Amino acid sequence: MAKLLDKQRYKCALGAMQTVQAIDRALPILHSGPGCAQKLSESIGSSGYFSPNIFPCTSINEKDVVFGGVKKLNSTIENALKVVDADLYVVLTGCIPEIVGDDSGEVVSRFEDAQKPVLYAPTAGFKGNNYKGHEQVIDAIIDQYLEKSDKKQKGLVNIWADVPYQDLFWLGNLRELENLIRELGLIPNTIFGFKRGIENIKKIPEAEFNLLVSPWVGLSNVKKMERKFNTPYLHYPTLPIGATETSEFLREVGEFAGVPKDKVESVIKEHEDYYYYLIERYADLFLENRVINKQFTVVSDAQYALGITKFLVNDLGLVPAKQFVVDDTPKKHRQQIEEEFKKLNFGIEAEVLFETDGYKIHEEIKQHDYHGYPLVLGGYYEKEVTEKLDGNFLNISYSVQDKVVFDDFYVGYTGGIRLIEDIYTVAVQRFN
Amino acid sequence: MGEIRQIAIYGKGGIGKSTTTQNLTAGLVEHGKKVMVVGCDPKADSTRLLLGGLAQKTVLDTIREEGEDIELDRIMKEGYGGTKCVESGGPEPGVGCAGRGIITSINMLENLGAYTDDLDYVFYDVLGDVVCGGFAMPIREGKAKEIYIVASGEMMALYAANNISKGIQRYARTGGVRLGGIICNSRNVDRELDLLRAFAKELGTKLLYFVPRDNIVQHAEINKKTVIEYRPDSNQAQEYRNLAQAVIENTDFVVPTPMTQERLEEILMEYGMMELADDYKI
Repeated sequence: MAKLLDKQRYKCALGAMQTVQAIDRALPILHSGPGCAQKLSESIGSSGYFSPNIFPCTSINEKDVVFGGVKKLNSTIENALKVVDADLYVVLTGCIPEIVGDDSGEVVSRFEDAQKPVLYAPTAGFKGNNYKGHEQVIDAIIDQYLEKSDKKQKGLVNIWADVPYQDLFWLGNLRELENLIRELGLIPNTIFGFKRGIENIKKIPEAEFNLLVSPWVGLSNVKKMERKFNTPYLHYPTLPIGATETSEFLREVGEFAGVPKDKVESVIKEHEDYYYYLIERYADLFLENRVINKQFTVVSDAQYALGITKFLVNDLGLVPAKQFVVDDTPKKHRQQIEEEFKKLNFGIEAEVLFETDGYKIHEEIKQHDYHGYPLVLGGYYEKEVTEKLDGNFLNISYSVQDKVVFDDFYVGYTGGIRLIEDIYTVAVQRFN
Repeated sequence: MGEIRQIAIYGKGGIGKSTTTQNLTAGLVEHGKKVMVVGCDPKADSTRLLLGGLAQKTVLDTIREEGEDIELDRIMKEGYGGTKCVESGGPEPGVGCAGRGIITSINMLENLGAYTDDLDYVFYDVLGDVVCGGFAMPIREGKAKEIYIVASGEMMALYAANNISKGIQRYARTGGVRLGGIICNSRNVDRELDLLRAFAKELGTKLLYFVPRDNIVQHAEINKKTVIEYRPDSNQAQEYRNLAQAVIENTDFVVPTPMTQERLEEILMEYGMMELADDYKI
């Protein structure tokens, strides 16, 4: 149904440009109008490999609509290969060429013999948002660049989590997931961020299994890799934040990978000892601020809504009010995600609403009795409504205006502590 | 000098829209009317008979090769009896968006001042069926207010005509576009006249004119001429003059009432079309 666009939390599929820019030495080539490119280039921190605001784009106009834009696309790719020294070029198409029917795939296939790989991801905005666009880019890598490998590297695990840049903490999260996997004696492989890039992409088919840490984004990718490379996958839907979930996560990964139980338990024990040492030291802080954060709401994509809800209930003993998932989760995944919100300790279940309309979300927040000051973790859009309710607000997801994140993260034991620090930094400021 | 009557001709592909439009134009010219014909088909064959061949460079070819800064005389040629002839043209088959091409062309004609006050009629000869918004361009934005559908007694021609009426009905709600009638380009089908009359009545319009089949039309086409120019004294030339007269005198413009597929087939049954297969002999 058509509606007023209110507090949009994602971009169109062409926003997958961020996914390409998160790959070291990869270059997006946009086959779109200049307006699309200009708007997408405003992402926070997405400097990418080449430049935040300079990248090849066909800048199509009416003439290209009438006659087709394939010639322009051809010359744009040709010249990008000459001018920009990258390891990987990914052509992303916007709405116009997809509607007009430009055969962009055919144009890209002309560059099969180029010295560097050129791939094509159809990312027309009408196909969905940038979560779907992200999956299209990974699909393009699987379909067009990678081949099945007879060689499997023992212990090698590809880790996939949520969408770079859309997820504020993507870089730190991935690095921390790598650390945890490494501690289990496995070899992590990720493709995003500093010194990963093309060499790690090449290793994808050699992995023993794919580890997907996400409620739904990327599920189609790991399934595709299972079919094409015979690589099994472990789908762990909850972003592990804090001790309870991270220990659970390590046990499940350990079991899937065949890591001896005592090894897994020793890793867990070492982390938990330190984690609870910190928690104990600040027990009085939690006690003194108990009243202000009794009930909470997360307004975020499925990844953080689920991860943070589990953490705040299981580790901090808070009570969930309604949770809001704002990423336009495809309907086929919703039930499984709802089930996850019911798997909380102490017999608690959280109610979750899949809603993209910011107005409706705010109305629900306003009407709920939080039994004290509400704790709201969400996008910057939630700041004002939380302040009106005299609550505590933390900006943890798109849109982000309140926080600068280089490589901070909320994943794992350390991530849980960071999140506690952030929440209570807000809480204690009330009394300053 | 009255308002320019802007007329769009639609109909199934191959039904004879271009032939009918050009012969009709020749008839209007004999009545002293000033006519412009705008071909809205990537095949660019809507003005061939008026110009004596496919000599013309299309609007889109010109834009492609010379850019948009062009003069009107680069894209408009004078044909039989002082008619103004324009071909919109289109992209190469299989690429680009021909519908947007039509929009671009007509906008360009407007910007270049092609719609002069001395014109009595402008005809838009639109390809096949209404395949997308671009091909509805002549009836959008208040350009063509008057539409004629060329059809025959063949089933597919009537299916297409009914479908086109749905498009007209859509635009009639917001704009002033109206259906002026059905022009039958006869294929010598059994009971064709009755069928077309019944069909037109069901659509809420009328059979404007019944153009009989005559091989002289093909002879004229081979000679790159309209029938009126090729054999002015022939019966068929007179038929086209009569058609022109009918268009000039027509004052019945309606919002069509397209029928359901079931109703259309009922009419076809009633006039014996569906039984033809039984009697068919080679």
